[in-house]
Amino acid sequence: MLSRPLPPSGRLVILRGLIVLIGIVFVAQLIRIQFVEGQGLRARADANRFRLVEVRGQRGVMYDRNGQLLVRNRPSFDIVAIPSNMPDDEEELRALLERLEQIIDESEADLPVHQQETSADADAVDDAAPEDAAAAIGQQGQPEFRQRLSVDEAIAEVDAAMAGGAYLPVVIAGRVNSETAFAVAEESHNLPGIQLSIAPVREYLTGPLTSQLIGFVGPIPEAYVASYTEAGYRPNDQVGLAGLETTFEKALRGRDGRRNIEVDVNGREVRTVGDIFPSAPGNNLVLTIDAQLQALMETALTRGLEAAKAQVGVAIAMDPRTGEVLGMVSLPTYDNNLFARGITAAEYQTLLEDKRLPLLNHAISALYPPGSVFKIVASSGALQEGVIDENTRLGDSFDGRVDGIIYVDNRFFPDDLRYAQPFYCWIHSYGTGHYRVTVREALAVSCDTFFYQISGGYRKTFEGLGIDKLVDYTRIFGFGEPTGVDLPGENPGLVPTPRWKRLTYAETWSAGDTYNMSIGQGALLSTPMQVLNATAAIANGGALYRPQLVRQIVDTEGNVVEEFEPELIRNLPLDPEVVDIVREGLWAAVNSPNGTAKALTVPGVTVAGKTGTAEFFDPEIPLKANDRLPTHAWFTAFAPYEDPEIAIAVFVYNGGEGSAVALPVGQEILRGYFNLKYPPQPLEIAPSETITPAISPAGSPELLSGSLEALITDTLPLSDTVEGGE
Amino acid sequence: MRLNLRRFDFVLLGATLVLLVFGVAMVYSATQGVESYEDYPLRQAIYGLIGLLLLLLISAFDYRLLTSLQWPIYAVVLASLGAVALVGQVRGGASGWFDAGIVFVQPAEFSKVLFIIVFAQYLASHHEQIGKPQWVLGAVALMGLPAALIYLQPDLGNAIVLLVIGALMLFVADLPWGYIVGATAASVLALPLIYANLEGYMKTRIDIFLDPASDPDASFNIAQALISIGNGGVLGKGFGAGSQSQLHFLRVRYADFIFSVIAEELGFVGALVLIVLLIIVLWRLITIADQARDQFGRLLVAGVIALIMFQAIVSIGMNLGLLPVTGITLPFISYGGSSLLTLMIGVGLAQSVAMRNRKIEFD
Repeated sequence: MLSRPLPPSGRLVILRGLIVLIGIVFVAQLIRIQFVEGQGLRARADANRFRLVEVRGQRGVMYDRNGQLLVRNRPSFDIVAIPSNMPDDEEELRALLERLEQIIDESEADLPVHQQETSADADAVDDAAPEDAAAAIGQQGQPEFRQRLSVDEAIAEVDAAMAGGAYLPVVIAGRVNSETAFAVAEESHNLPGIQLSIAPVREYLTGPLTSQLIGFVGPIPEAYVASYTEAGYRPNDQVGLAGLETTFEKALRGRDGRRNIEVDVNGREVRTVGDIFPSAPGNNLVLTIDAQLQALMETALTRGLEAAKAQVGVAIAMDPRTGEVLGMVSLPTYDNNLFARGITAAEYQTLLEDKRLPLLNHAISALYPPGSVFKIVASSGALQEGVIDENTRLGDSFDGRVDGIIYVDNRFFPDDLRYAQPFYCWIHSYGTGHYRVTVREALAVSCDTFFYQISGGYRKTFEGLGIDKLVDYTRIFGFGEPTGVDLPGENPGLVPTPRWKRLTYAETWSAGDTYNMSIGQGALLSTPMQVLNATAAIANGGALYRPQLVRQIVDTEGNVVEEFEPELIRNLPLDPEVVDIVREGLWAAVNSPNGTAKALTVPGVTVAGKTGTAEFFDPEIPLKANDRLPTHAWFTAFAPYEDPEIAIAVFVYNGGEGSAVALPVGQEILRGYFNLKYPPQPLEIAPSETITPAISPAGSPELLSGSLEALITDTLPLSDTVEGGE
Repeated sequence: MRLNLRRFDFVLLGATLVLLVFGVAMVYSATQGVESYEDYPLRQAIYGLIGLLLLLLISAFDYRLLTSLQWPIYAVVLASLGAVALVGQVRGGASGWFDAGIVFVQPAEFSKVLFIIVFAQYLASHHEQIGKPQWVLGAVALMGLPAALIYLQPDLGNAIVLLVIGALMLFVADLPWGYIVGATAASVLALPLIYANLEGYMKTRIDIFLDPASDPDASFNIAQALISIGNGGVLGKGFGAGSQSQLHFLRVRYADFIFSVIAEELGFVGALVLIVLLIIVLWRLITIADQARDQFGRLLVAGVIALIMFQAIVSIGMNLGLLPVTGITLPFISYGGSSLLTLMIGVGLAQSVAMRNRKIEFD
């Protein structure tokens, strides 16, 4: 029996139709999305997950001449906020940022918080910045300031970024140390939208010791954005702002690469898909500097400054055979690591406002009268031009008195001494004169009178070199032009000429001007580097080299990319005999009993040198007793005398007398240099065998020393030197 | 009564089991690598097993015994929904949950299948007079009360599901066309009024559906769903290898947007297989309803059909950008224990109807 209590339902047939219809609609839509629009949607899926990121090429590092690392890169962390991942709710956002601030403050309690500078601060910085200090920031840009946003500032920035609709990270705290970064990372689950971004920063291992040389990096100065952009830089790239970082920017700069990465919805990197092109680190520099010597020089100079109660000083050492700078210290200095980690406005302002100009490399950027060390130039010129020969005796007593005074006749009353202008030798203040000396003796005792006469002539008795020839020789020795050292901001100095005086002061050049210039005074101004370079040229027999700070550019594998050869600026047009005579004069200054530098001894090494005590006028520095001008202390030297391998220049601003202040510094440097180079041997070896340089000087100085003794012993009271002025 | 295994619908059971395994696999793919979702696939598998046991148990049980329990069941539905509306804690935004000790239970899910039983019996007992207004009004009241309680949780999605189940059951119960046309016209006219009374988030979802540009941040999810589906192509990116899902561009991957995960990772073929499986399930259920011994059995199955069909349409339609975003999950596939158990109970009831269908065999 077949029971049919319930007939089939028409409504269910309709339902079947509906299901099939909807199935068809869905499949059709699926086809539309996956096939018709598939390509576009796949592209969007790829756009979602793939990011082309720039990979920074590491900046090259620097080594000293012995391979000691001076500069390297270390990772630092920026704490950034990704606005789109942060809470929308204002209160939640504030709570999050306050928590973040708390974490940062706890782990960086010792570091000052940099508030965003107000416009008033910015003005203060401008007002306080002397032109020279601004020039020290190589291209007059702003350094990298330390970024720290307060909670309110951060909220404002995040809101602004959100309004812009851009996925732009806001830097909440820049360049935090790794402890802070780890503290933030540990709490990251409580800090949505907060990320750490790693940026390499420079680490200057020798810090203040080499900051004047090495400089620092920072953001591209506004004025140079166009040219850097043209060279392929991006706006937030770091470039050298001072020192070698600037000069060798091109070599040091790493080549940025591009990498394709896959990211998740929060923009976090999941994996690297591929390198479009790899980044490459920049090349490394091997400097000519010897870091050990540099440290020793800084110690010596610091000691010298303390002893003289002076604040500014320079010490430079060079290999006179090549022009390689072995050490260069300018005090006071600064810590370039401040700039590397982002300087605070207060720290920067302190540096700018410091009257001693710590940002300035005084060795190459500041100008001073060279004083008696300039006598090298005057004597070379006079000898070369035949104005004198090695036996010509000039100096005191033409008027019958040995008092260290000579007179320049008044041009209208040439015979009336009452109208004549007196010129003093430094020894005049000791109540005597040097009598008559040859050029060697004059260099040894630094007889001003002698140099007045050989340069400017003396009454009708003697025809001098003349100002035009003196200017020529001054320039030949490299004064008045940059030495071309590998550092930005070098000052060319000033060589005064009659034309210069006429155009500057509307005055005629006088014989007295020539007198002053002959002893490195008057309007003549030079950098300590120029003084050293002139000394080195005499030391090596007459070759003026461009001072160099970099020996080699090497790649990361250590292959030499570029080797720097000695670069001759010019061979001085001096006969070898002339150079020899001047060298002998400098030998005598150290090695004769009455030489101004006779206090100097370097065990086992013969040194030649020249002291200088240069008067200067500075309205802020009070005059000495009897209205005497304050003086800078100078000392230049080279050693070993026979075959010099080091030449030095020491300068102490307002230090007093060269022999008393600068010479001890030079002595410490030379002793240290030879100690480093020829360290004391173990006890088994007899001391006499350990010291290589010969002790006795070449022949002629011996003769000279004899004659000097005969002549000067009883007239020279002390080793102190005080230059005669106008 | 002897169990007649020849009447048991093995095609339906097979399709259901394939869907279950499919679901567990996709939940695994959608949650891998996320610590807080780590146990989801295992839990889903366990719920599936429990569901399977329930399905077999219920199919052995004679559905006709339920007729006498109509009003106690309705009382349980109203009581549990009322309790959730009053004291139930709000979890996961818009869902009402009951903390049943170890697990959280969503009464709204179970109330659907209980409602189907109550409503099927009501319509079956008034089958001959279904055209009469008082019985129609009674039916409206019967489904309106639990729907209102779910809406108060607030859970608009499940309230609508309940109403649609009721409507489809009325349709299968041969409600005269006059009522159907009238009710359709009335709801269309009432749409603006309903819209005006909606809760804020519901309005927003509809606004975004009508004009995606109105809120770029909120339309992010649906845009990512379309990108995922488009990204899949013919064969997909491979299981567990969809960039959109694995890199978390897709939100709620294990539930609301699981269809997009399937379309991305298994491509057009995978999505088509899923749609066909669902159609097979529905097709077999319609056959069971058609061959049901009595009106109660037919309407019981019609309710289960409505439950599966409506959720599948809304979920897939949303993923395909054809319907607004709701919290409704894909039957058998999406993660969710209450939902899965409810569906398995429904299928079990349908099997119970199938095993007692009208093709009485000659012994």
